[in-house]
Amino acid sequence: MPEQLWFTEFLNHYFGGLAASLLHAVGVKPAYPSAPITNPVAMEILVVLILLAFFLAVRASMSVDKPGGLQHLVEATEEFIADQAHGVMGHGYERYIPYAVTIGFFILLGNLLGLVPGFESPTASPAVPLGCALLTFVYYHFHGIRTHRWGYIKQFIGPVWALAPLMFLIEVVSHFARILSLTVRLYANMFAGDMVTLAFFSLVPALVPVLFLGLHLFVSLVQTFIFVMLTLVYLGMAVSEEH
Amino acid sequence: MKKLTFLLLILAVILTVASPVYAQTSGAAPAGNWAVPIGVGLGMGLAAGLAGLGQGKVAGSVAEALARNPGARAGIQLALFIGLAFIESLVLFTFVLLFLRTQ
Repeated sequence: MPEQLWFTEFLNHYFGGLAASLLHAVGVKPAYPSAPITNPVAMEILVVLILLAFFLAVRASMSVDKPGGLQHLVEATEEFIADQAHGVMGHGYERYIPYAVTIGFFILLGNLLGLVPGFESPTASPAVPLGCALLTFVYYHFHGIRTHRWGYIKQFIGPVWALAPLMFLIEVVSHFARILSLTVRLYANMFAGDMVTLAFFSLVPALVPVLFLGLHLFVSLVQTFIFVMLTLVYLGMAVSEEH
Repeated sequence: MKKLTFLLLILAVILTVASPVYAQTSGAAPAGNWAVPIGVGLGMGLAAGLAGLGQGKVAGSVAEALARNPGARAGIQLALFIGLAFIESLVLFTFVLLFLRTQ
């Protein structure tokens, strides 16, 4: 039996059987059959629930005449990301804002959840950032193909025909390296933040680790920003006209 | 500078000599175990130090650019963050590799 957070235990108690049969249906054997839902998955579900509640609350309190605090917060976030997207992608950026804001909120909340006692960051396990990175990868390739159709291949083969096979290989490798770097950057930052806090907690059991929690808070924000920005940069490259 | 080079050379010699010597004395303690903390320290230190040099250069250039043209803050900050992220991710690759290999 692995160590479980209370929310994981709660989920396993009520939905453990369902999750086990789902995993069985797709042919995956959970490491602990009595607790098929792991901590990161439970935390992810919690993040999704919080985000759903948050957006429902925002939707319910939305008004043109008297915008409340929540609405201001969401509008400011959206505006900030749209501003950055405009800087990176130029015209036609509006279409990609929903994805960027959504994944930004998900990662931000995932990062910040690790600061709350009794929870841990889902992004501090490699699978969750990998999922986000894969989603981004699929998303920008989808939009690249949607924009350029068959012309999208031109981005991979470069301007010189003789060098095309070489360029193609290099480009394919570099596109897959983006998944790796997006995943490892987010995962390692969150994980290292936890580790540093833990290490200092074992050295000095009071007050000093709080500084590193503050650092972790800052890192959480910056890494979210970086992830969203890189998503936008990759999108901008995929849908750009010149090439 | 000369002293540093000398020190590094000595270190390199010790490291190259040490592993075969100690690999042979595999008694009760598992061989090479003592080298793990040293390797981790050296690897992480090298990665972090070199990345520090690189990031320092980035930050210096950003300060200079902002002093020359404060109006271009948005674009410069974007380049700053993305550049720092790319440099930093190399250290984090090292960190993850070390963590995976020492578990």
